[in-house]
Amino acid sequence: MWAYIFRRLVYNVPVYLGIILFVMAALRVNDPIWTYLGKHATQEQYDQFAKASGLDKPFLRQYFDFLSDVVRLDFTVESWDQPGIQVGKMIRAAIVPSLALTIPALGITSFLAICVGLISAYFRGRWMDQLLVFIAVLGMSVSFLVYIILGQYFGAFWLKQHLGMDLFAISGYPSGGLTMATWAYYCLLPILISVIVALGYDTRYYRAVMVEESNRDYITTARAKGASGPKILFVHMLKNAMIPIITRIMITLPFLITGSILLEMYFNIPGMGRRLILAINAKDFPVIQAFTAIFAALFIVTNILTDVLYAIFDPRVRLQ
Amino acid sequence: MIAKFFQSRGARRFRRNRIAMASLALILIYVAIALAIIVGDLLTLEDTMDRVGPANLPGSWGSQTTEKRFEDIDYYLRQVERALYRRQAGQIIPRRNPEEALKELRLGSLQAADHNPVATRKRVDEAVALFEELEEYEDLDAEPEVLPKLEELERLVAAFYRPAGAMGGFSRWLELSGGTDRQGRSIAIRAIYSIKVAIQVGLVTAFISILVGSLLGAAAGFYGGWIDHLVIWLYSTFSSIPNLVLLTLLAYMFTGSIFDGTLIPIYVAFCMTFWIGPCRVIRGETLKLRELEYVQAATAIGFGKFYILLRHILPNTAHLMFINFSLLFIGAIKSEVILSFLGLGVKKGPSWGIMISQSGQEVINGFFWQIGTATALMFGLVLAFNILTDALQDAFDPKHV
Amino acid sequence: MAILQVQDLVKHFPVHGGFLGRVISKVHAVNGVSFFIEAGEILGVVGESGCGKSTLGKSVIRLLKPTSGSILYQGQELSTLDHQAMMPYRKKMQIVFQDPYSSLNPRMTVHAAIAEGVRFHGVVPDTEIDDYVQRLIVKVGLQADAGNKFPHEFSGGQRQRIGIARALALKPDFIVADEPVSALDVSIQAQILNLLMELKEEFNLTILFISHDLKVIEHFCDRVLVMYLGYVVEELPCHRLHEAALHPYTRALLGANPVNDPDDRRPLAVLEGSVPSPFDLPPGCPFASRCSERRDECTIRMPPLLSRGKQHRIACYAIDPITR
Repeated sequence: MWAYIFRRLVYNVPVYLGIILFVMAALRVNDPIWTYLGKHATQEQYDQFAKASGLDKPFLRQYFDFLSDVVRLDFTVESWDQPGIQVGKMIRAAIVPSLALTIPALGITSFLAICVGLISAYFRGRWMDQLLVFIAVLGMSVSFLVYIILGQYFGAFWLKQHLGMDLFAISGYPSGGLTMATWAYYCLLPILISVIVALGYDTRYYRAVMVEESNRDYITTARAKGASGPKILFVHMLKNAMIPIITRIMITLPFLITGSILLEMYFNIPGMGRRLILAINAKDFPVIQAFTAIFAALFIVTNILTDVLYAIFDPRVRLQ
Repeated sequence: MIAKFFQSRGARRFRRNRIAMASLALILIYVAIALAIIVGDLLTLEDTMDRVGPANLPGSWGSQTTEKRFEDIDYYLRQVERALYRRQAGQIIPRRNPEEALKELRLGSLQAADHNPVATRKRVDEAVALFEELEEYEDLDAEPEVLPKLEELERLVAAFYRPAGAMGGFSRWLELSGGTDRQGRSIAIRAIYSIKVAIQVGLVTAFISILVGSLLGAAAGFYGGWIDHLVIWLYSTFSSIPNLVLLTLLAYMFTGSIFDGTLIPIYVAFCMTFWIGPCRVIRGETLKLRELEYVQAATAIGFGKFYILLRHILPNTAHLMFINFSLLFIGAIKSEVILSFLGLGVKKGPSWGIMISQSGQEVINGFFWQIGTATALMFGLVLAFNILTDALQDAFDPKHV
Repeated sequence: MAILQVQDLVKHFPVHGGFLGRVISKVHAVNGVSFFIEAGEILGVVGESGCGKSTLGKSVIRLLKPTSGSILYQGQELSTLDHQAMMPYRKKMQIVFQDPYSSLNPRMTVHAAIAEGVRFHGVVPDTEIDDYVQRLIVKVGLQADAGNKFPHEFSGGQRQRIGIARALALKPDFIVADEPVSALDVSIQAQILNLLMELKEEFNLTILFISHDLKVIEHFCDRVLVMYLGYVVEELPCHRLHEAALHPYTRALLGANPVNDPDDRRPLAVLEGSVPSPFDLPPGCPFASRCSERRDECTIRMPPLLSRGKQHRIACYAIDPITR
């Protein structure tokens, strides 16, 4: 077991090195300083910038320097666009809003999708199942952006205009801390939109898992022994379907950090995703580089966690 | 070999699925439209930029407020006036060659009905008089006598125009069927042109991704050894960067370069993100196929590894390639929408992504025509592909999730 | 002159695992097997699942590279040849597989499957290929229109016929038949075996016939090798199996077959004990843990394969005790 974990850790190291290499190379294809300063900058300004940011050093040197920064969790490098503000500070400020969106979204989606999946599998083939699948397919054929725009319009604007209900904010985020009330006001609408969008995909997945389980012989045995429908559903099927369900949830964990980029942009919620997009638009090189490295690291950590959890639940994996 | 594929068990199961065949037909219609645009010049890029009328006209079954109708009349009237007069040093003076200008007057599929400047000038004066009368009213909805006057004015102004060309009437109807956007451009025309963009992006991206992904995956699975380790390292690396971040990073890479403004950044970004899916799938399938006895039989006959890969392994993964092609197509279309919203997608000309992201502002004002038309056309294509994917999976890969 | 002479053939498969995925153990599939086959003979190889007989068959025709040992085919050493040098021998040595459902490419028509190797090796001129394939199809007992059909349109027995046609297409002298009838119904088994016998007579083939069913081997083969966990424990002519078999394992195999006489109520010989793991073979005879005749020396060293005359060899300390 520990050998397996160790192997996963060791294996992911060259992967992460590769990511950082790729990201750094990609960002330097177009000289970041010229891109930031613009065409009318002078050579003098360029040299100044290069020296200050370390971009005048050879690439390999920059690579190792950056790697050592990341490993030591040293994010004191400053943003170009907002000089004086360290990247680390930006990260700390941006994490909470992101999580305030994504954790509830993940929780609600998983819960609802499993329920709908169970219902669908239970009524497999009958009209309820077909209807649910049909709705899911329809829902998946519309762009996420459309859901956001319409959701924002109807959920916040229309309710306020036509019904006088100020349930959800059109956009924005409380500048002080978060309370339950402000969270519901600012974050619930984007969360609901995200849930609706993800529901289609997740439901189909869980439904397929449940259908697979319900075909198994032990279910037939249970029915033959006289077990009732709901009991079979919850006691037997759900328990055995837990492995693929948990795997799925684990796989979507990385999206906790990044999946809300669009929502953050549209609803002006100052999370990690929005910070990154703003940095890209401002061509703020240090921020882009640091944020991407962090996203990738978080991704890899969750991947390793997934592998470990998988190994715990499914003994066959450990024996590989 | 392709003919044999269509005779196989799976293909026959697919053909029996009528909804799937209907979806395939719909997709082919879209492709035909795209081809007609690219090769047959059904629509040009300029067509999508032309002003066809006043801004924010609603579509075929929309209605307008009296305010809006008034503004529209203003626009139509002004176009005619501009053919007759021009501004010089702050003064309005008659044109030197109004007949010429009238002949060349174009508003989408409309042209001037009467090229006689004298007669036209008289009617313009009539219309302007009525216009200024109506301008006096504070609230156009308040007085009952406004409405007939408004309609009279509309008739007058409409008489200035007539449809151009043989298909003019139909063209005009088509132009206005989806309404116009903020800049008076035809939403329907732009949405239809976007089919070309979507098909282009989808086809090129899916094709290249499948090609690269399958070859790498098959090579990795079949030869094993360092090729396998390399390919696994490659796709682990790429898949560890969240899709959207990778796409934006790659698209950003191209800003300011010579490729900026073409579709090349999109192609590169998409292909580098989407090759991973087919690679994984084909590699898994190759690992499975490698152990089968007919592969061993081919080795016993004396065929080299490369031949076996090409002739025995890859054809038996073809069904997975089709399924993934369909999935990637959908992914490409949807990702284009998101990239365009972030300002990194299609830069020149319309696309569904650009239309949808521009419509965000309009929706606040209750104008749903742009988002509606674009979404409707996109919905048709994506839904057809979703159904196609499901049908393909049911037919060829019954154990799928 | 022996067409095939195998000397001390060994095949081990490495198993990866551990911290860095290095080799942590080996599957000892074939452990020093020696035998020969005369031209025109049918040599059977019998044993339980996992005894290495399939591995032996595949190693002999170089589908697998032997770990060590020598394989002499018509005097030529095969074990060290590279891919190019093996080519002419590929034509002469072919194989028929066990599983009719995975031994044919589902995307190739019957005609294409058979013609593939013919075209590659130039067995007949290109213009004659279609006729040649068609004749083969008829010869193995398939319908004349079978050529354009796909494997899934045929039954198991018919697919085996296709596999046989494919093997014969290269005009080989030597065929390894790897459990060709094990996956078929008994009635079909007889048909396929008869077909094989006819073809063997007509084309003067030499066959290495692998099976786990002693009755089939008895019926079909001239001589038989009895294998256990990678070793040959006995070798004798088939017509003398019942009277002359001496090795405890062979006797157990013979006794394990239910007899067709309802009045014969002799209890079936049942082996006790457990089979050792092929990963970790204990020293000595691999059968020792289940053998009723076990002696002390059996667990120390593997008994050598010694001749007893009349084409009979046996590896057993109980039969050939160590003489001091």
